[in-house]
Amino acid sequence: MDSNERERAEGALPADVPPSPRAPGIAGLSTPYRVVTALALGAVAVAACWHLALVFLHVAPSNTLSKRHAGMIDGWIYPEFEQNWKLFAPNPLQQNIAVEARAQVRTDDDRLVTGAWRDLSAEDGAAIRHSLLPSHTEQNELRRAWDFYTGSHDEDEKPSGERGALSQEYLRRIAVARLGADGGAGADGRVVRIQLRSATRAVPAPAWSTERTDTQTYYRELPWWTV
Amino acid sequence: MVDGVTRLRAAAGRGLAKVTGQALGPYQSAVVRIGFSATWLFFLLREFPHRRELYGPDGPWSWDLAHRLTDSNEAFSVLMWSDSTLWFELVYAVSVLASVLLMLGWRTRTSAVVFMVGVLSLQNRSVFMGDGGDNVIHLMAIYLVLTRCGRVWSLDARRAALRAGSGAGRDVAGPVLWGVLGVVLAYGAVSGRFTAGWLAAFAAVWVVLGLWWTVERHEPEGEGRAVLDVLANLLHNAGMLVIMAEVCLIYATAGWYKIQGSRWQDGTALYYPLRLDYFTPWPALSGVLAGSGVLVMLLSYGTVAVQVAFPFTLFNRRIKNVLLAAMMLEHAGIAVLLGLPFFSMAMIAADAVFLPTGFLVWLGAGASGRVGRGLGLGLGRGRGRRGGAGVADAEVVPVAVPVQAGPGGG
Repeated sequence: MDSNERERAEGALPADVPPSPRAPGIAGLSTPYRVVTALALGAVAVAACWHLALVFLHVAPSNTLSKRHAGMIDGWIYPEFEQNWKLFAPNPLQQNIAVEARAQVRTDDDRLVTGAWRDLSAEDGAAIRHSLLPSHTEQNELRRAWDFYTGSHDEDEKPSGERGALSQEYLRRIAVARLGADGGAGADGRVVRIQLRSATRAVPAPAWSTERTDTQTYYRELPWWTV
Repeated sequence: MVDGVTRLRAAAGRGLAKVTGQALGPYQSAVVRIGFSATWLFFLLREFPHRRELYGPDGPWSWDLAHRLTDSNEAFSVLMWSDSTLWFELVYAVSVLASVLLMLGWRTRTSAVVFMVGVLSLQNRSVFMGDGGDNVIHLMAIYLVLTRCGRVWSLDARRAALRAGSGAGRDVAGPVLWGVLGVVLAYGAVSGRFTAGWLAAFAAVWVVLGLWWTVERHEPEGEGRAVLDVLANLLHNAGMLVIMAEVCLIYATAGWYKIQGSRWQDGTALYYPLRLDYFTPWPALSGVLAGSGVLVMLLSYGTVAVQVAFPFTLFNRRIKNVLLAAMMLEHAGIAVLLGLPFFSMAMIAADAVFLPTGFLVWLGAGASGRVGRGLGLGLGRGRGRRGGAGVADAEVVPVAVPVQAGPGGG
C-alpha cells in the first residue's frame, strides 16, 4: 500500500487533475469496507477461476476430470456458455452434401403428380456465389438443419427422442417453404406429401496429389412425409 | 530472507492496489465493446430482409418448435414471451438500437445489458441458424456486461469530462431509462417469465445501477462511492481476464484438435474447405489457391502453428503482436475466401483485446483527428500520452482520469 501512495505523491496522475484526498483502490477505504471489498475480491477471483476451469473442461477432449464431473460441468455450461471450437477439425469436411426435395401434388382435376427432385443446396450455393455477405439463411439454415436431422436419427431414419422429432419437423418446414405452394410439380393443386434425400459427393483429391478418391454420388433417401 | 518477504509483500500490495484501484485495459475493453456491437449491428442490418425467416414466429424454425426446445434446455429468450409478430419486430428493433448505443458508449452498462438480452434472445430463439461467429458474440455479450468498457471512446466518457469541467447538470435520461427497464423487469418477474438465476442477475444489476446513481448524486466524494468504484474495478478486471482466457481457449482448442487430424498432418486440410459448395463464394479465387500444393501445405501448417502457439506468446510482447497481426490478417482472408464475414469480424474483435495500448491510443488519435473532431466525440482522449505506449504501461495510462467524477478521478 505504501508504495502505491508514494507513486501518487510523485505525480503519477496527470497535472490537470487535482490531487484526491483518497488513495485509489482498497487502500483508500476504512477498515470495515476493506473487509467487505477483500471478501468481494476473493469471491470474484474464485468465480472467475471456477468459470474458466469449467469452460476448459467443456472444450477439452473427454478426460478423467470431465468424465467424473460431467453432470456438474454440463449444468454450469448449458445453455448459455455452450461452445465448440473444432473449426474444420480434427479434419475438415471432405464431401459436399446436397439436400434435395420433391413433392407429390394432388391436382385440381384429382390426379397425383410427383415432381422432379430439386437441389435445394445448389440453390443455396448459387445465392452464396459472388456474395461478400452471404446470409445465414443461405449458408446455415438448410446445412445445419440436415446436420441436426442426421445427428438425431439412426440409419433406419428412426428418430431419437424429442430432438429427432424436432429436426424432422424443422426440415419438413424448410422444404415446404422452399418448394413453394405448388410443390414445384408443374401442376395446379396442393402439396400432399414431400420427400427429401441427400446426395453426397466426395471432394476429388487435389490434382497435385497422388491420392485417388471415389467421387461417385451416394444418396440417402428419407421416407415420404405428409404435409 | 526478510528482504524477500518484504519484497513479496510489496508486490502483493501493488497488485492489490492495481486490481482494486483501476479498471485495467480501458482501451482494450473499449475496442472489444465497439468491435462486437458493430459486428452484431452489421449482422442485424444485413439480415434485415431475412429477419422473419431467421427468428420470426412463422419461420421454418417456428415459435412452436423453439418453445419445445427452450422448454427443455431453459435457454434465455424474451422472444419466447409471446408469439406475436409485433413483439418479434420490437425485440429485433431494440437489439439494433442497443448495438448502436453500446457502440457509441451511451449509458454503457445499461446498453451492455440490453445488448446481451438482444443477442441471447435472437440466437436462442433459432439456435440452428448460427455458426461459430454467433457463438463468440453470444459469449462476449455476456462477458461485456461485467466490464467498465465505456471509460474511453464513449459518449459516457465525453459526458463525464464535460460535467467535470462545468459542474453537474440535471441527468434526465438516466433515471427515465432506469425506470423503464424497472417496469420491464417487474413485468417479467410478476408474470414468472424469468428463471430464478436470470431474475436474480437482472435485479442485482438494476438495484446496483440505482444505488450508484444515488451515491454519485449525493456524496460523490464519499466512501460509499469509493467502495462502489473498487467493486466495479474488481468485476471489470475479472471480466477482462475471462475474455482474454476465452480467446486463448478458442485458439488452443481449434489448434490442438487440428493437430490430431490426418489432413492437417499431411498438409492438405485447407484444400477441402476451398472445394465445399457452402464455403466458396469466389470459386475462381479458391481454385487458384487450391491449385498449389505447396501453398496449401504452408497455410495449413501455419494455421495450426499459430493457433497452438498463440496463448504461449502472450509472455512475449513482440512475438504476441506479430502473431496477432497474422491472425487478424488470416481472419480477414477467411471473411472473403470462405464467405464468413461476420465470423471473421467477431474473431478480429476478440483478438483486439490483446492489442497494445500504444497502438490503440494512436488509432484513437487518428480516428478522432479525422472524424471525431467534427462530431466532438472526444475519441482521442489520452492523446499526447502515447509516448510511453505499451501493454506494460497500461496502468500508467490515464484510465479514467478526466472521465469519471469520483474519488479516484476527481
